[in-house]
Amino acid sequence: MNRRRLDALLRKEWLDLWRNPGALMPVLVVGAISLVLPFVIAVGIPAWTDSRLGDDADLLRVSQVIGAPTHLNDDARVQFFLLQQFLLLFLLTPITGAMALAAHSVVGEKQARTLEPLLATPTTTTELLVAKVLGALWPSLGVALVCLVGYFTGMIWLALPGVAAAMLNLRTLILIGVISPAAALVGLQAALIVSSRVNDARTAQQVGVLLIVPITALLVAQFIGAFWLSAGLLLLIGGGLLVVWLALVLVSVALFRRETILTRWR
Amino acid sequence: MDVIAARDLTRRFGNRTVVDGVTLAVAPGEVVALLGPNGAGKTTTLRMLAGLIAPTSGEVTIGGVAMTAHSGSRLRRRIGFLTEAPGLWDRLSVRENLTVYGGIYDLPAVDTRVDELLESFGLQPHQAARAAELSKGMRQKVAICRALMHDPEALLLDEPTSGLDPEVSRTVRDMLDARRGRGCAILLSTHNLDEAERQADRIAVLHHRLVAVDTPAALRRRLATGRLVVRVAADAATWLPAARAVDPLARADGPTITLAVRDIEQDTPPLVAALVAAGAPVLEVRPQLPALEDVYLRLIEDSR
Repeated sequence: MNRRRLDALLRKEWLDLWRNPGALMPVLVVGAISLVLPFVIAVGIPAWTDSRLGDDADLLRVSQVIGAPTHLNDDARVQFFLLQQFLLLFLLTPITGAMALAAHSVVGEKQARTLEPLLATPTTTTELLVAKVLGALWPSLGVALVCLVGYFTGMIWLALPGVAAAMLNLRTLILIGVISPAAALVGLQAALIVSSRVNDARTAQQVGVLLIVPITALLVAQFIGAFWLSAGLLLLIGGGLLVVWLALVLVSVALFRRETILTRWR
Repeated sequence: MDVIAARDLTRRFGNRTVVDGVTLAVAPGEVVALLGPNGAGKTTTLRMLAGLIAPTSGEVTIGGVAMTAHSGSRLRRRIGFLTEAPGLWDRLSVRENLTVYGGIYDLPAVDTRVDELLESFGLQPHQAARAAELSKGMRQKVAICRALMHDPEALLLDEPTSGLDPEVSRTVRDMLDARRGRGCAILLSTHNLDEAERQADRIAVLHHRLVAVDTPAALRRRLATGRLVVRVAADAATWLPAARAVDPLARADGPTITLAVRDIEQDTPPLVAALVAAGAPVLEVRPQLPALEDVYLRLIEDSR
């Protein structure tokens, strides 16, 4: 893989994105919702209704089951539980963003007829796909990171004493540092495969959106107490996602048929 | 050694044969025009030569090296390919479009090279304009700059002047002349017979298979009618009897006599001798050749 070629392709991806900030709208919307919703539920509603989170016996019991820090009072424990749950929302941010960008990547070039001159250069399929993946991944992770910083800043200001500090644990680090980028990689690699196999961006997005379903299911299942993703389990899932991603990389290189893309676009 | 060479190149899509056994070579400093109707396989041929699609059978070599899946990336470094559509990134400026390609070709001094190209195509005032804002002619100029970015030894141009105004077409022709002068092998597809005749050293008429490959003059001679045009320095009717000794149906029109002969090579000298002996002030004797368009249409018709 030629580094300068990859740099040039990445430069193109980012320049294109910089000039088209609307492409980041889905990730910004999801990020904003992920940022606001938890505080509305865990901080705002109790304050507006003048009720205490610790009075909810079910929530208190679940928070004990998941091993919320014992030095926190009941209200803080429940708040900790809720804010931990909503952390999963931040998985959706990079996935949504990466997929929105990746779904457009190949099919967008096809439609704009910019792919043929690119394929006529020494660029290899691997270089092209890596540039597409990184070009979509970094901006999405960047937005997700900004949202996470906002989330923790919000906790420091708005959450009950001790909650923000308790959130900085191994589980949170694995979620942010492993699961989030790994899930984004899987999502965008899959979207890239779809993008190189269909003829229009809308189809690519529609198929790509299906990938969010398992993440949402995970979120809901954890909320209703069906199971609890411990740090160990999360690490395992993260490893699994990375294996899936590597498999998808191989599949996407194998399925990226220059000839079919060129001769069947219309 | 030929820079671009295709040997028995065939491409099928399903059971449809788009290109059938094409053998063609382009030498350094030579311009060959690929002429053919829509759907004749011109773009497919160029794509195979550029290593974008693989032939069903046959072989492509660039500078003597066979184009394979393994060598494709390396050989594409030696080819400049102007695609049918300019294919510029609309949100990027003219300079950015070219700079990205400079990086893709791993050039040592990208900015200098981009400056050279912008200057030679008069694009410097527009270098900051986004590609989406450019006229069709401007976009084509930028696409040509992109194809020339890495100073390739082989140029494949798909309809380079299609839909362009005469001024931009002239720029493209000047570029071709300059590249030819530097030893670049150029294969261009076109519908423009006038352009092909003016620019190309040889013309390859393609209708799925190669119908003819020759110089424009030789192609015209191939369909020569066996008619001669004689121009004299006075009213030609005076010497019509001398001409009718060769062809009883000879016609005079102002200072010219038009007549048919059996064999131009053999019959011209005695005709001229007879006219001169009769006192005709002969200025010019030339065979009446068909227009290239007529030759092209005849060749395509015969190939159907």
